[in-house]
Amino acid sequence: MTRRLTDDDGGRFDRALRANAEQVAAGLACQEESWSAGFTRRRMLQGVGMAGVAALASQLVTTKVAYAAGPGGTRNTVIVVFLRGGADGLRMLVPQAAGLGHHYLSSLRPTLVQADADIRTLPGTSGWGVNKGFDALLPLYRTGELAFVPAVSVAGVTRSHFQAQQFLERGGTSAATGWLDRTLAALGPGTTFRAMAEGGVAPTSLAGPQPDLSMNSLSDFTFPGWDGVKDASITAIRSLYRGIDSPLAQDVQTTLSAIAVAERANKSAGAKNGAVYPTGNFASSLSDLATLLRAEVGVEVATVDVGGWDTHTDEAGDLDALTASASAALAAFMTDLGPTRRKRVTVVVMTEFGRRVQTNASNGTDHGTGSMMFLLGGGLARSGVYGKWNALSANALRDGDVAPTNNAFDVLGEVVQKRLSVGSLASIFPGHAFHPLNLARTT
Amino acid sequence: MDVNYAGVLIGREQTAQRGRHAAERPGLSMAAAQAPAVGALPARLTTDQQYHLLSRFSFGPSSASLSQLARLGPAAWWDGQVALGRRYPIYSAHPRIAAAGPLLNRSPAQVRASQKAAGNEYSWEMMDQLTLVTLGLQAFSPAQLYETVVDFFANHLNVSNHADDQTWIRQTMDRDVVRRYAFGRFSDMLVASARNPSMLRYLNLADSTKQLVNENYGRELLELHTVGLAARYSEVDVKNSAKILTGRTVDDNGNYVYRPEIHWTGAVRVLGFSAANTRAAEGQAAGDAYLRYLAQHPSTASHLAQKLCVRFVSDAPSPALVAAVAKTYLANGTSILPTLKAIFTSQEFWRSRHAKTRRPAENLIASMRILDVTPAPDIRKALDGMHWMTANMSNAPLDWVPPNGYPDVAPAWRSSSNFLTLLMLHRGLAQNWWNDIVLAPKNTALYGRTKPATSGAAIALLCTRLVGNPLTPAKRGVLQTFLGEPASTPLAQSRLRWYLDHLVPLILDGPDHALR
Repeated sequence: MTRRLTDDDGGRFDRALRANAEQVAAGLACQEESWSAGFTRRRMLQGVGMAGVAALASQLVTTKVAYAAGPGGTRNTVIVVFLRGGADGLRMLVPQAAGLGHHYLSSLRPTLVQADADIRTLPGTSGWGVNKGFDALLPLYRTGELAFVPAVSVAGVTRSHFQAQQFLERGGTSAATGWLDRTLAALGPGTTFRAMAEGGVAPTSLAGPQPDLSMNSLSDFTFPGWDGVKDASITAIRSLYRGIDSPLAQDVQTTLSAIAVAERANKSAGAKNGAVYPTGNFASSLSDLATLLRAEVGVEVATVDVGGWDTHTDEAGDLDALTASASAALAAFMTDLGPTRRKRVTVVVMTEFGRRVQTNASNGTDHGTGSMMFLLGGGLARSGVYGKWNALSANALRDGDVAPTNNAFDVLGEVVQKRLSVGSLASIFPGHAFHPLNLARTT
Repeated sequence: MDVNYAGVLIGREQTAQRGRHAAERPGLSMAAAQAPAVGALPARLTTDQQYHLLSRFSFGPSSASLSQLARLGPAAWWDGQVALGRRYPIYSAHPRIAAAGPLLNRSPAQVRASQKAAGNEYSWEMMDQLTLVTLGLQAFSPAQLYETVVDFFANHLNVSNHADDQTWIRQTMDRDVVRRYAFGRFSDMLVASARNPSMLRYLNLADSTKQLVNENYGRELLELHTVGLAARYSEVDVKNSAKILTGRTVDDNGNYVYRPEIHWTGAVRVLGFSAANTRAAEGQAAGDAYLRYLAQHPSTASHLAQKLCVRFVSDAPSPALVAAVAKTYLANGTSILPTLKAIFTSQEFWRSRHAKTRRPAENLIASMRILDVTPAPDIRKALDGMHWMTANMSNAPLDWVPPNGYPDVAPAWRSSSNFLTLLMLHRGLAQNWWNDIVLAPKNTALYGRTKPATSGAAIALLCTRLVGNPLTPAKRGVLQTFLGEPASTPLAQSRLRWYLDHLVPLILDGPDHALR
């Protein structure tokens, strides 16, 4: 297959450039934020290995998928979706009842609290509702496959995108490895198929010695050039790298081994069960992932990134649209997998921090603390809202933010422990006192 | 490696090992080993050593640069590169590439006016031109040593290109700071960077005032640009570092200006530096004195020496080499070229073949150079294509976002998608898929004047031509198997008649090209 530059490549390139500029702006915003929060970058950089720093450049790209596969016994898959930019939990999972602090919320952000008609009340909860953008996912709530956790954060996370993402992805340590990499290490030796990433490098959560595989897309993950010499070329390259003492040598073997698997899986690409994916990188990444899961290549851990959640201006329209489009993609993914296959797939959606409760001067919100997580797919105890919540009030806020009452590592830890049988979490979230929310089940 | 050293260099630890080296190397006399710690070079270079040198102090060997090096020898090659860089500074070493960046020689106000006249004041045209010219010079400029030094310091004093607040000013950092002082003194480069609108915006010094100090630049100056974390400065040092530099800002025309009315006054101490700093009118001079103090600090010498050795020698250079390079830096008043020459003339450098992994963009450019490609007649289209190729691997020059520059060690670049992209680029270049971007000569030209007689001889010749050595018999056997014919097959009957275009990229895919 000969790859030639086309006008479409030019358009994509232009978009990539613009996306890069957003990264630059976000990077600078992080810098400024770190001063106002009194955060010392010094401490963090001391603990950050070069690999982690490398990952930063593409951290805010629109979509990114990485998956890891191993021979672990459960045949289950955990997918971590990271909403980059700091998603506003309060407009996604709304404390709709008076008892949850709805009046106080409305007083601080009158233009950002939806009318009741635009909130979908969640049955069986103490008065929670969700953004209407979740409509596509609500059928999963009725089948016990959708759960939410409000007021999530981890002590040590600041209002800097850079620091917060790194801190969460490293599992709260200063180690150079990510929490998912350590999960894979704890699960034992992995197989060939590991990481798939839009934009080049795997996210920090997968940084570390476990072999990584990154892809722009499943259909591009192929040997370039004339098919007539493909197999002979692959054989030759593998032999040329044998015995070379370099990280490159390991990656080359992993990559070349994966080509055949990727190509085989790609032959059965295409949505099943009547699923219709929306356009966009996130959806196409999930579609690729569904193809790989159906092909049973042994994916155990996957990460997908979605950018654009940094809603400093005109939040209502932007956030609702983002929520709707992410929900549509996730709903298509679940439909694509079908009710049986998705029993072995648990998706955890997280973000680096929540946003200030009060609206800012631009009808948006600035960086805050407590946010929300949501989980979907198989392996949940039941649908619902989990965790502790302090009704919103002047006293309940912390520096104008939702005070975190639920710990992100408790959620992530419980999911990999119960779904992947990872055993002890001591090496995955070192020093963290584990208090599961009992939202997942082992079977 | 069979080397005849005229002498050896470096610090105590290596001197202590001298006897062992001498024993291993009959050509190395004890008298030579006791020579002063600078200026030792192999008298003559093997082909592999030529490739080594040109893969480190240039963006990769080309036919032209190889024959020039073979003619001159390493010492005269170095002097010639220094002369070239001095004679043709900034962008002038390759006029055709320079012509692709007309806005780069303009002032911020002129860039703004020019872009406005072209229809979009806020266009990224100037920033695009900077990326394009940088890529073009890395690939095609004859002043290769200059480009490698520029690349190092552009990353050391990183300012991310392609950001809205850099729209009319980013060229000033490249032109007036990095390129201007690349062959000069680091102290001058540092002082210029602390008066550069692009840097001041990027690290927020432009916003820092005595009422509201922004510590960003003051901290990165210590952590990244000069002494590094190993100097163990305190948070008070960081605050003082920021305070003494207040007043440095950017005017409405995008030019640097010092405004005494926003300069913080009062006594300042940072590490061993102190200033009374009582008069705002003298605040800029006090800041310059602080910057020059930092540039000459032993911790800065060590920090810079470590980074230079990581760039030019290996991911884990020996402490002895780093110490020797740091010593040279201080002994030469922070002059960059003598510091680099200490690396160039070190045994450790000449023994570090293949100790570095090429970053994705370096692999692309080295592939272009070794295949002797030329940019297509539409130079803008050619450079746009190269920009697309490097950006596709998240490695377009000057586009690293955080202030620490692109990482320079192998583990940071582990990526299967980049590897597959490089396989695609090797094939595209060797098979001329993109002849509106770059043109490669026919691959039969790689044989040179005398065509090899057999398939086996052709493989050995091609490997030597492309990666500097004929590879081991086992690896040549791998390529022979790829061709599917015995080594003794006469070239006239060889499958190379059809498979040459597939064998060439295969050699570039291998570790002898991926590592430098």
